[in-house]
Amino acid sequence: MRKEGNVEYRFEHPDDFRAFVRDRKSRKPADKTCASRDAVSKFVSDGDYIVYDFSSLTRGPQSLIREVIRQKKQDLWIGAEFTLHESALLAGAGCATRIDVGFLGYGNYIGQAVCDGRVKVYEWTNGGLALRILAGARGVPFLPTRDLLGSDNMKVSAAKTIEDPYTGLPVCLVPALNPDVAFIHVHQADIYGNARIFGTNLFALEAAMASHRVIVSAEEIIEPDEFRKDPMRTTIPYFLVDAVVHAPFGAYPGAMPARYEIDLEHVDRLNAIRNDEQMRKYLDENIYGVADHEDFLDKRVGFARMRELRRRATIIEGYR
Amino acid sequence: MIAQGARLLEDGKTFFVGWGIPQIVAILAQKLYVPNVVQLFEFGAVGPQSVLPFVRGTMGGPQNTFRSLQWLNMNWAFSYSASGYMDYGMLGALQVDPYGNINSTYLGGTFEKPERRFAGSGGGNQVASHCWRTVIIIKHEGRRFVPKVEFATSPGYLTGPGAREKAGLPKDTGPYRVVTSKALFGFDERTKEMTLLSVLRGLSPAEVIKDMAFRPRLAENIAEIGPPTEDELRLLREEIDPSRIIIRGEKMSAAV
Repeated sequence: MRKEGNVEYRFEHPDDFRAFVRDRKSRKPADKTCASRDAVSKFVSDGDYIVYDFSSLTRGPQSLIREVIRQKKQDLWIGAEFTLHESALLAGAGCATRIDVGFLGYGNYIGQAVCDGRVKVYEWTNGGLALRILAGARGVPFLPTRDLLGSDNMKVSAAKTIEDPYTGLPVCLVPALNPDVAFIHVHQADIYGNARIFGTNLFALEAAMASHRVIVSAEEIIEPDEFRKDPMRTTIPYFLVDAVVHAPFGAYPGAMPARYEIDLEHVDRLNAIRNDEQMRKYLDENIYGVADHEDFLDKRVGFARMRELRRRATIIEGYR
Repeated sequence: MIAQGARLLEDGKTFFVGWGIPQIVAILAQKLYVPNVVQLFEFGAVGPQSVLPFVRGTMGGPQNTFRSLQWLNMNWAFSYSASGYMDYGMLGALQVDPYGNINSTYLGGTFEKPERRFAGSGGGNQVASHCWRTVIIIKHEGRRFVPKVEFATSPGYLTGPGAREKAGLPKDTGPYRVVTSKALFGFDERTKEMTLLSVLRGLSPAEVIKDMAFRPRLAENIAEIGPPTEDELRLLREEIDPSRIIIRGEKMSAAV
């Protein structure tokens, strides 16, 4: 061992995760559709480690994150490869206390929360976190990489530098990550949990494979047979998935490629949150003050706005 | 700065694009100078031909990933640079030091208790570690050019010649150019130190160095950078960023 950071990190023995998959993950194609309230109350507990794919700007599971806040989950540890406004909301609502990043943004609120020590940050880099999730999905305790070497990120994450037994050169190891829960918002899913994402992703399949529980929220529920007609399009197979939530506009205020555009006005409201008072006001209005995702869309977004965002999403080439 | 960055790119090369200003640079370059450059985003969009206007604050969104050759994810995107397929990378920075080490994490205080916290690495560490040539784009302000970065988020030449290789990073990689709002820097082949190559028309090398907290090496012949051309300005102002969100406040030349 040449170098290692001395910081806490989430880790699980690969055999323990395998045993969980063997004993607790059903392979039966059952109807898993449920309301977001039920999915979050059943599958997310205080103290959980949550990972999600992508961000508040593009295809993020924003309706599920708002539900976590509504249910006032506590002491969450977020695996946030690319975390934007949702990390500020989760920290501001007192839900998240630790964040593995990634790219930490957006706006002053989360930056100030880090400076004040209200939320702890572990700095893995985007590539480092993606690799940790891949290791978790591969059932290995770590994966080697040639980045992180030489940088200070090594000291503030639990990455280690060892001598590569093949070349004799230094090589970086990152530990596997097996989160408690993964949230993934998709374009299409069936009632069993087969899911399709159109476009890029961070680590959707890896996160689903590596996590103990997987909640998929979907813009559209389609017939199971559609997956068998076009298997190249299946991003996540049903047996990884525990719950399917039908959530049109589930990525709002972010964009859902080929479905609706980013609502930059709403994003600017999130960017403008600078202190606890403004945070409280935003949360009260948009999360605590509405019953659920549908109520939020009804009362705070509105049909006209949604229609306009759909109209702006004129790019369908590549997504059909 | 944006125009200058765009003029650096070579056609027919691959280019790992960082968040923010590098996205604008890549778009401008591709529309004007290097139609066959292959952009790569860390979200896995390979070879997109972005739709204009540029939508601020997104990278994985449909406009920026339009007409890609391939859609992948992050592990595969970084595999392209790790296996040597990425000729150039371009990154923004909060601070940079004489060896091209980049800080984008915090300023003041300590990592645990910073005075000001910023976004951190994102994929910057991977880009700077693995692309053959890393281009750093940074506003020319004294406090940004420091003798030693407070936190090395993305590796430059670390402590000097041979240090990258010794740390285990791939050989023959590292910072190549630093593009600022006033000048262009390279890195001395022997010492790996930042070297002033050219200055914006109307400025003297002394005026450029005055705004730095360390003294860079000087090239034998310091060239002049022309101001943005009509084409560059028109494209930036009318097509890429008509709302001026990105280029607002950006000093386009010493004369402006």
